[in-house]
Amino acid sequence: MKLPYQHKLSNIEQRTRRFMLGALALMAAVLILIAFSQNYFSRSTSIYFIASNAQGLNPGMAVKFVGFKVGSVQDIAMEPNATVRVRLSLNNEYVHLIGQDARARLIKEALVGESVVEIIPGSAQVRQVTEGSVLEFERGQDAGTVMESLAAQLQPILQDIHQFTATLNQPDGDVQRTLKNLNQATGAMRGMVDQFTRLGASGNQKLEGTFLKLDQALDRANSSLGELDKAIPQLVQKADATLANVHDASNLIRQAVQDSAGEIPLLVHDTHGLVQDGQRTLDGMQQSWPLNRMMPKTEPRMLPADGFVISPEQP
Amino acid sequence: MRRFGSSLVLVGLVLLAGCGQVEPLRNARLLQAAELNQRAGEAFRLAEYRLAAKLYERALRIDIALEQVEGIAIDTLNLARVMQVSGNPVRAGQLLDGLLNDTALQYPPVYLARAALQQSMLRLEQDDAAQAAVWVDKAAAFCGNGCADYGVVANVRAMIALQRADAAPALEWSTRAVNANRGVPLEHANALRVQASALLLQAQPEQALRRANEALQIDKALGLPQKIRQDLLLLAQAHAQLGQAGQAAQMRERAARIAATALK
Repeated sequence: MKLPYQHKLSNIEQRTRRFMLGALALMAAVLILIAFSQNYFSRSTSIYFIASNAQGLNPGMAVKFVGFKVGSVQDIAMEPNATVRVRLSLNNEYVHLIGQDARARLIKEALVGESVVEIIPGSAQVRQVTEGSVLEFERGQDAGTVMESLAAQLQPILQDIHQFTATLNQPDGDVQRTLKNLNQATGAMRGMVDQFTRLGASGNQKLEGTFLKLDQALDRANSSLGELDKAIPQLVQKADATLANVHDASNLIRQAVQDSAGEIPLLVHDTHGLVQDGQRTLDGMQQSWPLNRMMPKTEPRMLPADGFVISPEQP
Repeated sequence: MRRFGSSLVLVGLVLLAGCGQVEPLRNARLLQAAELNQRAGEAFRLAEYRLAAKLYERALRIDIALEQVEGIAIDTLNLARVMQVSGNPVRAGQLLDGLLNDTALQYPPVYLARAALQQSMLRLEQDDAAQAAVWVDKAAAFCGNGCADYGVVANVRAMIALQRADAAPALEWSTRAVNANRGVPLEHANALRVQASALLLQAQPEQALRRANEALQIDKALGLPQKIRQDLLLLAQAHAQLGQAGQAAQMRERAARIAATALK
């Protein structure tokens, strides 16, 4: 016959055993889940690419092919020649889709998001990758880089335009001086025409003197036009240079846009999705207790009554 | 100990239930109407009446399309108010008539009371004290007992009496308005201003001076240039009645400077 305390003791022992077994089962389940998520139970093929540096590359990073996760970055190591060798583990299920001439590209999935290695498909005729294959590697342009490049191209254009405007505006510059001279000459000619009219009425007495002044005015107009003649080629040259710069820059911009054309819609789409997700999360939070008590409610409100009248005659 | 534990569990459950409580969803159009209404309210407070009118009109369109009776009433009243202060009393009157004579939709009396009050004030603006009295009586009837707008009704009654130069009822109603509007600074200042005018009519400039000064403090705190100017003009009148010509001129000068800014 068991004593009461012995009975209690065996009870505790049983409970402890059950608890320990439960904990072990839970740990095993978690380990299995982790193993599944790390693809330990699926067969994989290791391939490589060589990068000039390891910037933006991390072990565990997803490897995507046409938008699907097909593997992960397993290992990053520095080679004796100071390049970086990156080992990718690809799920065997997808290996037959990736040709030997496929390329690996490091891209950012959204403006604010994780970087992934994307496999750019090669031609279908080429043999599929096998264990130890080496792919070509390139870095994709992110939105920041595209913007920086655009800014760099636009800077000299803006400088040229600024310089051009400054030249035009210079009070002692060729253009301003010529315009001033032309203005004076026009004024003098107007005066002359007036005098000429008056002279016609009074019997052409001072006709000779007027002709002389007209001659002088025409001389001055002539010399102004001469200055303008000298100034124009310089201006045309500057304008030419500016236009050439604009042309070069627009070519570069077109090139940059073409380079990133495939990524920009994806980037914009992803960013849009990200913003929408954020908005939905915020909306959900705002509607949930206790935040919904703290947020001002969006309801139509009546303007407060104002029982005082200011009569129109005393504005 | 066991009771404490159960209480803890109960509290936890209540908190969890609270976390799960989500507000009933309102459709996007309704939210848009409410947002437009609030933006319009902001514009009105900044005296940007054109923008306020445009936004209230948009909100009203949505309310009508969704048959939101309260929304229709609120946005119509607000739009009428904007029209009134921006110098379009005819349109304001039309909007209020539309609300008061609507036979298709039934509006809660609180909105009808406000509409009748606004009609009364429109008539006061046009120096039609008789019609203003008719409308304020209607407003009081819609309002009933314990109505939130009782203080405004009292103010309007006091102003009607003032317009008739009837000092005793003006003072009586303004005193009621002062008491009824203690918690509403805008209306409290209005009531003090009307009371000061009534006191001036009764040749009590010292009392009037005190009331006008109180109103001035409140209006300055609320940032209402037109009301500040009215307070200063009242102060000028009170000083003039007291024979203080210099101070009266000073007050008038201050009022003129505010008028020059043309800010409402």
